[in-house]
Amino acid sequence: MKSSLQRIPVPGEREAQERAWLIVAAAHADQEPVPRRSRRPRVALAAALATASVVAVVTPSGRAVIDRVREVIGIEHAQPALFSLPTQGQLLVRSDSGVWVVRKDGSKRLLGGYREASWSPFGRFVVAVAARGNELAALELNGDVRWTLARPGIRSPTWTGSAVDTRIAYTDNSGLRVVAGDGTGDRRLVPGARGPLAWRPGPTRHLAYVLGGDVFVEDVQTGRVVWRTRFPSALPATAIEWSSDGKRVLVLAPHALRVYDARGRVVAQDDPSEGWPDVDAAFRPGTHDVAVARVHGSQSTVFWLATGRALFSGTGVFEGLAWSPDGRWLFVTWPTADQWVFVSAGGLRRIRAVANVSTQFRSRTFPRVDGWCCAR
Amino acid sequence: MERAGRDERAWVRGAQRGSASDLEALFRAHWPRAHRAAYLVVHDAALAEDIAQEAFLAAVRNLDRFDRRRPFGPWLHRIVVNRAIDAARARAIRGETGLNESVRAADAPAPDAGVLSALAGLPPDQRAVVVLRHLLEYTPGEIADLLELPRGTVNSRLRRGLDAIREQL
Repeated sequence: MKSSLQRIPVPGEREAQERAWLIVAAAHADQEPVPRRSRRPRVALAAALATASVVAVVTPSGRAVIDRVREVIGIEHAQPALFSLPTQGQLLVRSDSGVWVVRKDGSKRLLGGYREASWSPFGRFVVAVAARGNELAALELNGDVRWTLARPGIRSPTWTGSAVDTRIAYTDNSGLRVVAGDGTGDRRLVPGARGPLAWRPGPTRHLAYVLGGDVFVEDVQTGRVVWRTRFPSALPATAIEWSSDGKRVLVLAPHALRVYDARGRVVAQDDPSEGWPDVDAAFRPGTHDVAVARVHGSQSTVFWLATGRALFSGTGVFEGLAWSPDGRWLFVTWPTADQWVFVSAGGLRRIRAVANVSTQFRSRTFPRVDGWCCAR
Repeated sequence: MERAGRDERAWVRGAQRGSASDLEALFRAHWPRAHRAAYLVVHDAALAEDIAQEAFLAAVRNLDRFDRRRPFGPWLHRIVVNRAIDAARARAIRGETGLNESVRAADAPAPDAGVLSALAGLPPDQRAVVVLRHLLEYTPGEIADLLELPRGTVNSRLRRGLDAIREQL
C-alpha cells in the first residue's frame, strides 16, 4: 500500500513546489527573526550602547559610523508616518489586518478583513477576496458590501469596463472565471488557468493571462484568442500589466520579463541571471517606458528597462512598484527598511520616504500595494 | 534517523533566526509528502497545492512559537490533513468534480490508478486515516493524537477503509 501511494503521480508536482517555495520564502522574509538567546542580554545591550555612545562622543569618526549604519538600510530622513501622498490618487493596501484605502491627505480606512483587492475602473469600488479565500466581494470605499460571490480558492481579481458595463476576472480552484460588475453571470472561461490576469485598457474586453507556459490574450465577449505566444520561464508568471494605451503588455516571472506588442511580438525583454530576480515591473502611465525592480545579492535597484539607467537603489529587498496615475511618481515598497519610497520621475529627482509602514497598517508582515488609482 | 532529526532541529532554529537557506531545506524536506498527502485526500492537484502551501504559511507565521525539541513533520501534517479533510467534505457537499479527474479520465490509466480510484471512493475521514497510516507512516495512536480522535475510531476507520480498497481492487 505504501509503495502504491508513493507512486501515484501528483499532477504538476514539481511546478507546485516551486510556486509554493516562492510564496513561503516571501512570507518568511517578512517575518521578524527570533532573537538569539543570550545569558546576559541586558548586560550585553547596555555594554553595546555604552560602547557606541563612547565611540560617537570621543571620536569624530564615531558619529560617521553611526550615521552610516542608519543609512545602510532605509532613508534616514523618512517621515515617521504617511502624512500625505505626493500627488493625486488613492492607494489600495493589503496588510495582515485587511485591505485599506489611503487617500491623498494620508487618511486611511480599513475596508475589512480581506486579503487581496483591486480597483474598479474609475476607483469608485473595490473588488476583494475574503480572508479565507472563498468569497469575492464588491465593496464601497467606506467598506459597505455591495455583493458577494462564494467560490473556492479565489485569487487575482481584476476589474475593467466602462461606466455602464463592467467585468471582473478572477481565478478559483477550477480556473479563470468572469463575472459582471453587479455580481451576475459568473462563468468559467478557461479551465485550469491561474496566476495574474490583466484587462486591456479601452473598450475591448481583452484579457491577458498565462496558461501552460503560453501568454494568451483572449476576447472575453467572443471567446476568440487574439494572440498566443510562448513565455520562456520555468517559474510561474508573477505579474501581467498593460500599458495605459493598451498597445503593450508585459509579463513578468522572476527570471524572465517580456514586453509584447499588440500582435504578441516581443519588443523588449530582460533575462536576469539565477539569484538576481526581477521582482516587479510597471509601465509608466501615458508611455511605454517600463520601470523594473531587481534584487541582486544584498542590494535592490529600480531601473528603466529600455536604458538600464538606475532610478533608485538601496540595501535589502524591494518588493513592489506602482506608478501614480499621473505618471510623475514611482512608488517602491522596501520591506527590509520597513519603508515606502516615492521617487519622482521628472527632471528634478526627488525622493520621499515613509517609515514604520507595518505598524501604521497594523501588520506583522510588510503591507503590499494593490494599486494607485484614479486622480479624484 | 537521529541525524535527520538533528538536521531538522538545526533547520528550524536557523529558520527562526531568519535563515532562508535553512527554511528552504525544511521546506524541500517536507513539501513532497505534505503535498502528496493533501492530494490523496482531496484528489485535486490545485486544491492540494493550496492546502499544502497554506499549511507551510501557517507554519512560517507560527515559527517563533514552535518548540524545536519536537519534530516538525507531525505539526505540519496535522494542519495539512485536517485542512484536506475539511476541503474534501466541502467539495463533496457542493458536488464538485476536480478538473484533474476529468483530464485524467481522457488519458491512459496511470500506474496505481486503481488504488487512487479506490481511495477516491472512501469518505474523506477514512481517506485521511489511510494516508496518515500508509503514506506518512504514523501509528494508530499517533493518528488519534493528530486528528484528536479516540484510538478505536482511528482503528475502525482504517479497517473499513482498507476493506473497501481491497474490494475495489
